[in-house]
Amino acid sequence: MDKRTIVLVIVVAAAVVLAGVATALYMRGGSGEGKVGYVTMAPSLMDGWLAANQSDAYIAWEPYVSSSVVAGTGRVIMWSDEIMPNHPCCVVAVWEDFLSTTDGSDLTLRFLKAHIEANRWMADALADPDGGNYSLLLGMAADFTLRSQAVVEEGLAHVEYGYEMGDDFLSALKEFTDMYVESDIITNETLDGLGYADVSEFIEDYVDESFLVLADAVEPSATILNPDDEDAVRLGYLSGDLHQLAQFVAQNTTVGEGKSLFEVYGLNVDPLPAYSNGGAVMDAFNLGDVDIGYLGAPPAIQKHANLDIPVRIIAQANSEGSGIVVHVDSDIHTLEDLVGRTVATPGETSIQHLLLRIALERAGISFVKA
Amino acid sequence: MVNSMPGTPTALARIKDAVVANWARLVLGIVSISVFIACWASVSYYLSESGNSLSPYLPGPLPVAEAFLDSFSDSVPGLTDTTMWDMIASSLIRVFWGFVLAMVVALPMGLAMGSFRVLDAMGKPLVEVFRPIPPLAWVPVFLMVFKSFWGPIGIVFLGVFFPILLNVIFGVKNVDQRLVDAARTLGAKRGTIFTKVVMPSIVPYMMTGIKVGLGVGWMCIVAAEMMPIQGGTGVGYYVWLSADYGRYDFTYATMLVIGLLSIMTTGVAEIIEKRVSRWMGLR
Amino acid sequence: MTACIEIRGLSKVFSSDKRRVVALESLDMEVVDGEFVCLLGPSGCGKTTVLRIVAGLEPATGGSVKVHGKQVSSAGPERGMVFQEFALFPWRTVRRNIEFGLEIRGVPEAKRGEISTKLIDLVGLKGFEDAHPDELSGGMRQRVGIARALANEPAVLLMDEPFGSLDAQTRNLMQKELLRIWSATKKTVLFVTHSVDEAVFLADRIMVMTARPGKIREVIPVSLPRPRDRTSAEFIAVRGKVLAELDEEFEKARKTELSPD
Repeated sequence: MDKRTIVLVIVVAAAVVLAGVATALYMRGGSGEGKVGYVTMAPSLMDGWLAANQSDAYIAWEPYVSSSVVAGTGRVIMWSDEIMPNHPCCVVAVWEDFLSTTDGSDLTLRFLKAHIEANRWMADALADPDGGNYSLLLGMAADFTLRSQAVVEEGLAHVEYGYEMGDDFLSALKEFTDMYVESDIITNETLDGLGYADVSEFIEDYVDESFLVLADAVEPSATILNPDDEDAVRLGYLSGDLHQLAQFVAQNTTVGEGKSLFEVYGLNVDPLPAYSNGGAVMDAFNLGDVDIGYLGAPPAIQKHANLDIPVRIIAQANSEGSGIVVHVDSDIHTLEDLVGRTVATPGETSIQHLLLRIALERAGISFVKA
Repeated sequence: MVNSMPGTPTALARIKDAVVANWARLVLGIVSISVFIACWASVSYYLSESGNSLSPYLPGPLPVAEAFLDSFSDSVPGLTDTTMWDMIASSLIRVFWGFVLAMVVALPMGLAMGSFRVLDAMGKPLVEVFRPIPPLAWVPVFLMVFKSFWGPIGIVFLGVFFPILLNVIFGVKNVDQRLVDAARTLGAKRGTIFTKVVMPSIVPYMMTGIKVGLGVGWMCIVAAEMMPIQGGTGVGYYVWLSADYGRYDFTYATMLVIGLLSIMTTGVAEIIEKRVSRWMGLR
Repeated sequence: MTACIEIRGLSKVFSSDKRRVVALESLDMEVVDGEFVCLLGPSGCGKTTVLRIVAGLEPATGGSVKVHGKQVSSAGPERGMVFQEFALFPWRTVRRNIEFGLEIRGVPEAKRGEISTKLIDLVGLKGFEDAHPDELSGGMRQRVGIARALANEPAVLLMDEPFGSLDAQTRNLMQKELLRIWSATKKTVLFVTHSVDEAVFLADRIMVMTARPGKIREVIPVSLPRPRDRTSAEFIAVRGKVLAELDEEFEKARKTELSPD
């Protein structure tokens, strides 16, 4: 080996070692010293990761919380309602262009009625654990989420289903939007450009309570208003999301005693293949693929503001129903214990991420990418 | 070539000479880019003025330029304490390690397969089965098995590995026989022929493989970062995230960064290749 | 006079699935220490094959090849070779090309430098020690080739049409240079060429080969004192003699080339 080759080998080796050191230092950056680090991933994978100790904690929506608990690998240290009681989670939104079709308003009202009745049915079923409807509900939940009945039973105990909106609902949405403006996700120029003086105006224009008011008066109908499958109401929703159970219940024919609730109110609904996240549902609205959709409030707000996607929020789907899960054997019991650890979230645009940020900020802890 | 002769032009003078000599090309280039930007601006302006629903998806050059510049000094929307520098660093780190790993495996493997027919016969079918699979197809598997730091690195590895391997094998098989003959008549036996003739001979082939591999690896990292499960930052991830928020001004700005980074990596690879060629006297 | 190279009954057959080519058949020849011998013949007669067999780059099919009494089996530095296309290592400088064989033998750096400097001077490349082959002209490259082979102090220098790639003037110059180097080093040289003129200018003895299958047709001694004058009557006479031998073989070679085997 001659001198030049030796020098070359040394230089290359030194460069690699240097790079290794730099990488180690840089990657260590995330969690540590008063910070909680996060990684993002699909919720369906979170329980597996936790069980394998790949992350210290995760926050997700049901049934992905109960799946760990029932499996005995996870323990909840905080429910989302402890962070923000009655916080809105998923909402029902309708596409403006759909509303302006001939029967658009009418169909929307019928849909909401079915949504309302489904919620009432679920409330009754849950109130009577020995009743037949309870096991029927468990079965439906298991079918929809592809989780076991034990898991969904646990999950159902923590989700608050409801359709009402109201002042608390509005102020919660305003709070979310304020946080987005503060972190530059939505700029004031954008709101300005849409014609709103402030966040308040934006939200109040976005949420339309008029449909709910009228929906409850809708009567069952023997005839279907939109019998042609081409005119069916195209329904969008998130895959396996226990929060959005109402629409699934409304499709079930036993609930309506031989008909689905949608059919009871003379509505032909086409449930589309599931979407993976709320952003996708908003994009689908924009493409004109969806007429009515269930999605999380945050993506509904973000994309409506930033992309002016023409939808309106017409009802709530659920509140609460998310939790922070740690490994059953871990020493983490409080929010403060998360300092220096890594939490998996469903993504920066999700409400879970937002709630965790709110909770940590209240405790004076930074929340950064791990 | 002797570089330090008196009267050698300085870098600045050389740039000036190049500009003067190529001014026509430069002017045309500038005109072309300006026209493009003007078209972009008009389309985006038209869309926003006419209230077209596509308008938020195509912000004009000004907002994108603003987003581009801001991203380097401030934290980008949606991520805390993260500037474009952090994201560039994340992606570059992954590409770097994927590249290093690929070299460490492909170089010896290529030398072995090129030198020994038995190994070549054994390795060839495996290579031919795996090479056509786009590295991105492995993302779901890799991210679960290797997790969020090593997963994308593994994807880059696959992208960089095959070009280097195949080029090195080819280089070994195409060593100039006359040089081998000469070495033998100078007393070299098999081992020495390998270290003193074969290995220096394959360097240009290896450099080609590296250049191609880096390009592929770079594309892999950006796409791999866009896949769901990954816990790092990275420019690819931010393209996806900014779009998820609806902040397309940052999406395009990030795409611009990616393009620039790609040019730079290729440029660096070419400079290294030229240097190595010169140092080895192989122009 | 000690025999440097002794070849008896050498035969070489190249066989593939399609053809069987008898390149050499019962070839006998001898080269004495310190001699400059040219192996001359038409294209395809196998002269390069003979050289490569002596160098140990090709195995003989039959017969014996001995250098200083030892049977030749593989290549080695005691039979240094100079190639028509120079075969210099492009990534090495002139000096490091020359030192190649010395490196292999583990000669320490300082000593290597001494040897290579002397050789660089000898072949007339002073000032170009650190140049790469691609910066040199053809003639210069071949000087490096010669120096490189000489560095190992070979028993014999085998040269395979070493000036075939050079232009006429450089060729003439290099022939003179070669003679100078040869007289300075007193090496035995076996020089393959198809140029009669070159052979007569350089050699002590010219071995004219037959067309394929090759054997030695005639050995013509050239006892003219060096430096030889190409225009002198004696030179022309020897040339004529050699040409006569060669022409017949050229005819035969031409016929073999044109007819399929």
